[in-house]
Amino acid sequence: MNKKSFRETLESGEFTITAEVGPPKGTHIDEMFHHIDLLKDKVHALNVTDNQSSVMRISSLAVCQIIKDKGGEPILQMTCRDRNRLAQQSDLLGAHVLGIRNVLCLTGDYITVGDHPQAKPVFDLDSAQLIHMVKSLNEGKDIGGNELSGSTDFYIGATVTPESKPIEPQLLKFEKKIKAGARFFQTQAIYDIENFRRFMDYARKFDIKIMAGLVLLVSAGMAKYMNKNVPGIFVPDNLVDELASTEKGKGLAKGVEIAGRMIRQLREQKICDGVHIMAIGREGVIPEILAAAS
Amino acid sequence: MEGECHFLEGNIRAKKRVNYTKGLLAEVKIEPERLKMFNMGASDAKEFAHAADEMTKIAKEFGPSPLKKIKNRKRPAIRRIQ
Amino acid sequence: MIIAERKTFDEIKQIVGDAHKILIVGCGTCVAVCMAGGEKEVGILASLLRLDAKREGRELEIIETTVERQCDKEYLEPLAKKVSDADVVVSLACGAGVQFLAEMYDTKRVLPGLNTRFIGVAEHEGMWTQRCMACSDCILGETGGICPVTICPKGLLNGPCGGTNEGKCEVDNEKDCAWTLIYRRLEKTGGLNNIKKLFPPKRYDVQTKPGKVIHPAYEKGEGKAHE
Repeated sequence: MNKKSFRETLESGEFTITAEVGPPKGTHIDEMFHHIDLLKDKVHALNVTDNQSSVMRISSLAVCQIIKDKGGEPILQMTCRDRNRLAQQSDLLGAHVLGIRNVLCLTGDYITVGDHPQAKPVFDLDSAQLIHMVKSLNEGKDIGGNELSGSTDFYIGATVTPESKPIEPQLLKFEKKIKAGARFFQTQAIYDIENFRRFMDYARKFDIKIMAGLVLLVSAGMAKYMNKNVPGIFVPDNLVDELASTEKGKGLAKGVEIAGRMIRQLREQKICDGVHIMAIGREGVIPEILAAAS
Repeated sequence: MEGECHFLEGNIRAKKRVNYTKGLLAEVKIEPERLKMFNMGASDAKEFAHAADEMTKIAKEFGPSPLKKIKNRKRPAIRRIQ
Repeated sequence: MIIAERKTFDEIKQIVGDAHKILIVGCGTCVAVCMAGGEKEVGILASLLRLDAKREGRELEIIETTVERQCDKEYLEPLAKKVSDADVVVSLACGAGVQFLAEMYDTKRVLPGLNTRFIGVAEHEGMWTQRCMACSDCILGETGGICPVTICPKGLLNGPCGGTNEGKCEVDNEKDCAWTLIYRRLEKTGGLNNIKKLFPPKRYDVQTKPGKVIHPAYEKGEGKAHE
């Protein structure tokens, strides 16, 4: 395998593209297999979510291994919701020996929003502490300060919400994540390029890579819903109007066009270092988005 | 009238307490409608008479108090649990 | 103080079972103030049990009593006679009081009438909110007197999660985001530098259950003076 790794690609300054695979709830994995086959050679790496939205699913670690087996490169998402520091570290050591080299560290949604609302929420660490712990494993020590016989070698990722309101506490945490050892960031979905450009003007002073998060829009209703209900996501009026004036049944095509256009602008104007595409159940159209972006 | 109590907020508070007490009655399976609060002025004789009539009607519809339905049975032997 | 709520009547009725003589013991401290287990609430529960028994034609005798505190032996000792006369005891104290009462009278069934909720404050009349998790490692000095361990559902120590929304929490948009509150408070009091450092993971060893606190100057017992 002579292909450049995700880390090498992103660190080399090449515009890098990642997408996301959501493991299914249950053991039928045909559809996920199909998406992995479809995307593994079209993007630089595939994130695998960790019990996304607090809904119990196949483990991120297992699906990362499947992606590797198929010749793709996975990014292991790890939240703090379901495992304490022991479980997180043993999974990280396990991920390393399986050849997984990218970790995205997240807090995780709260447990009551998911399908096991009565379960015990763990949150032993927070995302900044998790990042610090991964860095420590990379340096040959566990979080308790004990020597490891063989360290890990993870490329450490984190998330940031550029549209968070208020922004100051969010940036405080962003800077702590950088200090703790995060090397790349995948942002929450952004739609307002000018707002994002302002965020990047600030973020450029840090020695990190930033990939803009893109969630595929499929209708004006979805855009309005996200504006109202999803904290940290802001779809500007011009995009809502553009979707609203789209012929019925063409919403998805319009969403693909918008995503493609945004990727092109982010790349051509060198606004950020890459994009992370979240198609949420419509992974099949990602190749079309990439075609629209080229 | 509600909110126009001589003791300022007294009847608003009383309303909350009465609603709470209706809930308590429901917990022990006594019809909560058997308790009702009416607001009226000290000199509203007509309103008072109406309220009394209404409560009488409600009570008649429900029939005798559920507390009186069953004649007291003989007290069973106490089983002490150690 | 400790905040509690009465269990539903159905649940109390079920655990009391077919007892004929019930002693209800209120607690005159925390749970009296939050109107869950004081003298008045003892009276209400006694009335409910009596009404219910009467409706079902059952004989029932209830003794009502309220002590200063159920978490101190000196207040529980005088209950001996009343406890021994009863079939069961329903304690309207927090879980600590119920256990202490049950421990002192360990041949009697002592049942809880409340669910203990949290350590909190009276926000206003009739409303109490949680303020402390009793984590045994207080960081309020650095977080502007606002506890992220308690006020943030995730207990995050290093800033807000991505779900923070205009100062509200993603878990419940009626509740404030702890980290927005902390940030704003420290802006006013000049302590923002406190929270720029990376807080280490919380120590859970210090809160290994069951906790025990000894005051060396006052501890009575085996007669040993601590060094």
